[in-house]
Amino acid sequence: MTAEYAGPIIEMRHVDKHFGQLHVLKDINLTVDKGEVVVLIGPSGSGKSTLCRTINRLETIDSGEILFQGVKLPEEGKELAALRAEIGMVFQSFNLFAHRTILDNVTMGPIEVLRKPKKEAEEEAMELLRRVGVAEQAAKVPAQLSGGQQQRVAIARSLAMHPKAMLFDEPTSALDPEMINEVLDVMVELAKQGMTMVVVTHEMNFARRVANRVVFMADGQIVEQNTPDEFFDHPQSDRARDFLNSIKGH
Amino acid sequence: MSAAVSMRDALYEAPGPKTRRRVAIGTAISLVALAALVAFVIRQFYINDQLNPRYWSFFARWTTWRFLLRGFLGTIRVALVAGILAMGLGLLLMLGRISSSKVLSGICHVITDLFRSLPSLLLIYFFFLVIPKYGLKMPSFWMITIPVALAASGVLAEVFRAGVNAVPKGQTEAAMSLGMTHGKITRKIVLPQALRIVIPSLVSQLVVVVKDTTVAYVVSYPDLMQNARVLISNYDALVSMYFVVALIYIAINYATNRFSIYLAHRSGAKIISRTEENPV
Repeated sequence: MTAEYAGPIIEMRHVDKHFGQLHVLKDINLTVDKGEVVVLIGPSGSGKSTLCRTINRLETIDSGEILFQGVKLPEEGKELAALRAEIGMVFQSFNLFAHRTILDNVTMGPIEVLRKPKKEAEEEAMELLRRVGVAEQAAKVPAQLSGGQQQRVAIARSLAMHPKAMLFDEPTSALDPEMINEVLDVMVELAKQGMTMVVVTHEMNFARRVANRVVFMADGQIVEQNTPDEFFDHPQSDRARDFLNSIKGH
Repeated sequence: MSAAVSMRDALYEAPGPKTRRRVAIGTAISLVALAALVAFVIRQFYINDQLNPRYWSFFARWTTWRFLLRGFLGTIRVALVAGILAMGLGLLLMLGRISSSKVLSGICHVITDLFRSLPSLLLIYFFFLVIPKYGLKMPSFWMITIPVALAASGVLAEVFRAGVNAVPKGQTEAAMSLGMTHGKITRKIVLPQALRIVIPSLVSQLVVVVKDTTVAYVVSYPDLMQNARVLISNYDALVSMYFVVALIYIAINYATNRFSIYLAHRSGAKIISRTEENPV
């Protein structure tokens, strides 16, 4: 795709998905514009992670269509791989390659997929690791790092591919409380620089501070979406009110 | 290694005073029983005249050892080549089995199960008696090596598959999200981790390969066992010869096991030691 493409980066139209009997995504319609930060929230089991994972086809869909930069997601093969290379993804459990060093983790994509020369890839990787504050860990293996450090490396690994958009699937849910902020800080920085982001999270402060739009899901449906201030201060639906009440009060 | 200790710590709670006394009594009884057993064996050897120097004196001769050494090298050669062939074939069978092509996967599944369920002796007879009838002549080395390799490849394919299944799904997903293709993910992410996981089971299978080579006498290949049999008929010394040969096999397999521990240690340590070699 060329840079002139002006439509929404991500567009989901009437997307449905089942896990066996379970209807996990019900008629999902969602658009994400360039530079927008969309936060998906909702009770567990509401389908928000699944929705996030359908955008780079880590989950397939039963019906409907998903477009990335106006083009329907390829279903398989090299085309699908090429599309995934343009969408960054950060997982709840980091998923750093356990047998490779931190530096290797960040250079893997550029070298293997973008075919960059090793030296160039390593220089850029070090720059990214510096940016997320873990440059001094470059020669270690993932198991030697704290959760917060690992997740920051995972973000650097995604950034090394120069993605057009990034998906965050509960990036701080597996972290000890004192490490959550170091990861959120990196994400805030990314949002400021104009990265298009879809973030599944339970961090309501982050949502309020950074999101352009909050999408509230329950039972596989998008129940309501609004600006964060509107959503948190004046939720329209009973489900959203119940949800917000249940997480308040601590 | 420390892994064994921590395993014991994980399975049993630390012993208290009563348990410690019971362990001490148990140890004493076992030692007495062991001493009695050794004494009994020596006594039986003595009664049956097996300690007679004529059964042992030829071990002082260099020719005996040279002949045994030749057999030993034969065993090592068969075991090494069969082991390498079996690992290669097992890896291919496993890759075929996990491929997305249903036909290829089905074929590899059948071959794997076939080799896994056939006794290696039956395969040896096939290569020794059946195939030559149809005009394919091969040296006795291959008549023992190929069937042993085939029998082991089925098991190794399953060992490799267990390793691949043990690599967390998130590793593959992360690689997919970077835009890596299926083949690349298998080569760069899944296999390197799977192989590390299966090193211990891999080596125990190689020990089975070494033991399988002992049927080489069927095809008259001069391995350790075959040469020992020759010496036995020469010197009429059954017990002493088998006793020494048993010790040699134990030594081979002990060395194999030590090697696996070294490998497992190194493959883990290698990644970590790089931090000290080139700190950034």
